[in-house]
Amino acid sequence: MNFLAPWFLAGIAAIGVPIAIHLINRERKTVIPFPSLMFIQKVPYKSVRRQKLRHLLLFALRCLALFLFVAAFARPFFAKNDRLAAAGGATERVILLDRSYSMGYAKRWDAARDSVRAVIGAMGPSDRTTLVTFTNDAAAVTEPTSDRAVLERALDRVAVSAEGTRFGPALKFAGDVLGASVLPNREIALVSDFQRRGWSTQAELRLPAGIDIRALDVADKSVADVAVTSVATNRASADADSPVTVSARLTNTGGAARTVDASLELAGRAVGSVRVTVPPSGSAQAVFTPTVVPGGVTRGVVRIPGDALAANDVFQFTLAPDEAVRVLMVQPVQARTNQSLFFRRALEIGDAPRFVVDVKRVDSLTPRDFTGRGLVVLNEVAPPGGEQGVALRAEIRQGTGLLFVPGDVPNDRVPREWATVLRLSSADPANRASTGGARLARVSYSSPVFEAFSAPGSGDFSSAHIFQHRSLRVAGDSGVLAWFDDGTPALAERQFGRGRVMVWASSIDDYWTDLPKNPVFLPFVRQLARHTGRFSDARPWFTAGDILDLTRHGELLTGLVERTAPGTEPTVLTLHSPTAKRVRFSDSVQATPLLERGFYELRTAVTAEGSGRPVAVNVDLAESDLAHMEPEELVTAALAATTTGGPQATADAATAAERERNQKIWWYLLVGAFLVLATETILSNRLSRMVTT
Amino acid sequence: MTVPTTTPGTNFLDPAILSRIGNLEFVAKIAVEGFINGLHRSPHLGSSTDFAQHRQYTPGDDIRRVDWKLFARSDRFYVKEFEAETNCNFLAILDVSPSMRYKGSTLGEGGVSKLEYACFLTAALAYFSAGQRDRVGLATFNHDVIDYVPPSARHLRQVLFALDQTNRSGKVHSPLEASVSGSGVAPELEKKPDPGARASLLAPMKKLADSVRRRSIVLLISDLYEDPKGIFDAVDHLRGRGNDLICFHLLDKDEIDFPFTEASNFIDVETGTKMPLVPDYLRKEYKKIVQAHTDELSKLARERRVDYARFDTSRPIADALYAYLGARERYNRVR
Repeated sequence: MNFLAPWFLAGIAAIGVPIAIHLINRERKTVIPFPSLMFIQKVPYKSVRRQKLRHLLLFALRCLALFLFVAAFARPFFAKNDRLAAAGGATERVILLDRSYSMGYAKRWDAARDSVRAVIGAMGPSDRTTLVTFTNDAAAVTEPTSDRAVLERALDRVAVSAEGTRFGPALKFAGDVLGASVLPNREIALVSDFQRRGWSTQAELRLPAGIDIRALDVADKSVADVAVTSVATNRASADADSPVTVSARLTNTGGAARTVDASLELAGRAVGSVRVTVPPSGSAQAVFTPTVVPGGVTRGVVRIPGDALAANDVFQFTLAPDEAVRVLMVQPVQARTNQSLFFRRALEIGDAPRFVVDVKRVDSLTPRDFTGRGLVVLNEVAPPGGEQGVALRAEIRQGTGLLFVPGDVPNDRVPREWATVLRLSSADPANRASTGGARLARVSYSSPVFEAFSAPGSGDFSSAHIFQHRSLRVAGDSGVLAWFDDGTPALAERQFGRGRVMVWASSIDDYWTDLPKNPVFLPFVRQLARHTGRFSDARPWFTAGDILDLTRHGELLTGLVERTAPGTEPTVLTLHSPTAKRVRFSDSVQATPLLERGFYELRTAVTAEGSGRPVAVNVDLAESDLAHMEPEELVTAALAATTTGGPQATADAATAAERERNQKIWWYLLVGAFLVLATETILSNRLSRMVTT
Repeated sequence: MTVPTTTPGTNFLDPAILSRIGNLEFVAKIAVEGFINGLHRSPHLGSSTDFAQHRQYTPGDDIRRVDWKLFARSDRFYVKEFEAETNCNFLAILDVSPSMRYKGSTLGEGGVSKLEYACFLTAALAYFSAGQRDRVGLATFNHDVIDYVPPSARHLRQVLFALDQTNRSGKVHSPLEASVSGSGVAPELEKKPDPGARASLLAPMKKLADSVRRRSIVLLISDLYEDPKGIFDAVDHLRGRGNDLICFHLLDKDEIDFPFTEASNFIDVETGTKMPLVPDYLRKEYKKIVQAHTDELSKLARERRVDYARFDTSRPIADALYAYLGARERYNRVR
C-alpha cells in the first residue's frame, strides 16, 4: 500500500495522546488500602470488569475513528503490480566489483573474487544479479541474470586494471540498474578495498529508495608500498647527441624505511641502476648516470623490485628529441622589403618551441616544400593551385597549420578548390588611415592564441593601429578570435582535417599596421604559430584513464606524418595498446581513452611494429594512496542520497489512471470513520445512562 | 441489641477528641466519668452495683430469703433479691489484625482507626470495670494470641499499658506495609503476602478458651472479616465455658458506605490482594453484601445468645459503652 499524502500519517501520533493520558493516569492512579476486599470479591464480576471493558471498547472506537480519519487524509492506494506480486521475495542484485589497480595489492584481488563468488553462490532461484566492474567508471560485465554459471564465467574474465577508484559512478550505475527493476528486493553488493580517495562527498548520487548496500571489504589492515611516482629528464644541451640525465622520484607509504635498487632502461636496454633508501612516509630521488639517448622517440622505463602493489613499481616514459617546428613562409614574387621579417624574427627568437623558418617565393614552390611543415604562412599570396595546392591541402588535412594573410590579394585569385578550406570571402581592402587606424576592439581570451594575454597588464592589443585591413565574412563553422572596431573579423579560425586554417585580415609586417612594433606582437606571433601549427609540449607519459586526443597532441604525429607519401590522404593512424588492442583514428574518431599501463604505439598503415610513436601510460598514482575508509561511512552516505523517483516512479505514472481508481479507498475510510464515531456516541450514551441509573 | 443513638451530653466522647489525648488512662477516665455523669439523666437505671429488689414469693423459693419486715408492713410475701457477686472477670479480646488499623478517609485527619477506637473503648471499659472492682484482663490476637494480660483486680495498669503498646507498636503486621513501603521493612515482611493469609478467629479463641478459667464477661472487639458461621464457631469455644460473650463489631464509615468515587487500585491490607475498581459501579452491591453480613452475624448472635452490636468508628464512644453496660446489667444480676 502506498499513500498520496503520507505526511498526514503523522496524525496517527494523535492516538498516542489519549493513550499517554491513560498511561499517565494509570501511573498516577491512587492506591487505596482497604481493610478487606472480602466483600468486594463477592460483588458479581460484571460490575467491575465489564465496565472496564466497555471503557476500553469506547477507547478503541475513538482510536479507530481517529485512525480512519488520518488514513483517509493520507490518501492510501494499492499499487497493483502483478509482476511484482509474481516475483515474491526475489532480489535484484548488482555486484559492484572494484578492479582498480589498488585491488592488486597483496591478496586483495583473490579475496574480492572469493567474495563475489560467495554472493553469487547465495543467490536465490528467483534472484537476478548483474556483475558490474568499476574503476573511474563503471561497466556491466553481464546482463541481469539468474544463471550463476554466466556470472562465474564473467568473473573469471575480469582482471585488475591500471585505473583508479571512483565509487560515485559505480553506485549511480547500480542505482540505474536497480531502479529499472520490478523485483521487490534490491541490493548492491559492493566489493572493494574502500580507498578513501575513491569517495567524494561532492558526488551527486541519487539512489532509488529501497536499496540495500552490502559492503564487502577486502582491504588489508596495514599497508606498505614503495612506488615510482615521476621521472624527470634533463638534457645537457639542445644538441640531439648531448647526454640526458634521468632522475626518478620514489615514495614510501609504509612505516619503515626501505632500500630499493632502481634500474633504468632506455630503448629496451638497461643503462643504469642506483640504490636508494626511501624514508618511511617520505620520498627519495634516484638519479641515474647521464647517458646518450638514441635519436627519435626513445622508450624509457624506471623499475624497482616488485612489492605488494606491483602496478606502481614500473614507470614508463618517452624521451623525445627537442623537435623544431618547421615553418614555411611563402611571399609574393615582388615582395616588399622585410615583408616577412617581423614574423620570421618573432618566431626564430626563443626555443620553446624552436621554430625553423624557411621563406620562399610563391613561384618557386614545389609540392615537397610543404612536407614536414608544422606551419605554412601564405603571406599575401593566394593559396597555390595545382599540385602544390593538392599537396598543401593534404598536409593541412594531416595536421599542418595554415596561416593565410590575404593582404590585397583579390578574391578571384583564390583557386576554387580552396573555397572548402577557407570558407570565407573578403571585401576589398578598407583604408582606415584617415580615421587614425582601426583597432583590435575585442579578442577571444578563451582561445589559446590570446589566453596568455587574459591577465590584466599582460598585453594591450588596443594600442595597435590597423590602417588597412580586409573585411572578412566567414562561414558559420568558422570561429572568430579577434575583431576590429568595426565588428569585422581580424582573425578567423577553422578546422580542416587535423589541421587548422587561420586568416589574418591585415598584414603581418608594418605595411598596414604598426602591430609588429607593438610589444604584444612577438608573443602574439609565437602563440599564433604554436596554436596553428598544433605544437604542444611532448608529454613524456600519460596516466591511465587519460584521453589521447590527437587534435591536442599534434607532436605525436610529427614523425609519422613525415613518413607518409605526399598526396596519399588521409593517413590512417592506429593506436596499438600494450595488450595488442587497436583503435583506428579517422576524421570522426580523434580521441581514445588510454586504459592500459605500458607503452601504446601510434602507427600508420605503413609503420612497422615497434617503429611507431610510443605513448607511455602509467597508473594513476593517486590510486597508490591506500588510505582506507570505513565501508559503513560510504554506505551511510550513499543511502542518505536516496530518492523516490526513478524508473519505478515513471512506471507508476504510466498507470496513473488505474492508481486514481485505487485511491478511492479514502472515501470508504472517511465513511467508516463517521460510522465508528456514531457507534461510539450511541454506546457512550447508553453507558452513561446505565451509570446514572 | 440495637445500637442506641447518641446519648445527650456524651458528645465529648467523640473518638476524634479522645485520640488527641496521649494518656490512655486519662482517656478512659474522661470517657467513663463523662459517661457516668450522663447516666444520671439517662432513662436506663438499675445498673448500679449495690442494687437489690423484691419480688413476689413463688412456691419453691427459699423461705430464708423472705423479707419478713416487709411482710409485717404489707402482709405479703416478698423475696429479697441480692446483688450478684461484688466483682467478676472482664476480659477484652481485641483484634489487632492489619485491617483494624484502617482509618477511613471520610473524617480526614480527625478520624481514628478501628484499632484506636477499640483501644479507647477497651481502656474505658477496663477502667469502668476496675471501678466496679471487677477483675480486668486483655488479650490481643491476629492469627494467634499476641498479648495476654490475665484478668486480675490489679491489672488495670497492665491492661492499659498493653493497649497503649498495641496501639503504638508494630505488633500489627500489615502485608500492605510490606508491599508498598519497600526498604526499611522487616525482612520477614518483605515476603509477598499470601492471599489466603486472612486472620481467623478459631485458633486464638481456642487458645483463650483454655486460658480463661473463671466465668467471665468476654468482650470481643473485631471487624469480623470472616464467614459469620466461622466466627461463631470460634467464639463458641469461649461461650461453652460458661462465659458471657459480647461481640462488638467495629467498622469504619468507609467500610459501611464505600464512599470512594475515583477508579482506583484497592489493596486488601491483610492479604495484599490488589483489585482495580470503579467504586461507583459496585457501591450498591457492596453495601448490600455488608448489610447481609451484618444481618447474618446478628442472626447467629441471637441464636447463640451472644450480645452483638455493630459500631461505626465515626460515632462517639459512648454508644459502645452504653451497649456494654446494657449487657453487663443483665449478666450481673443474680442468676
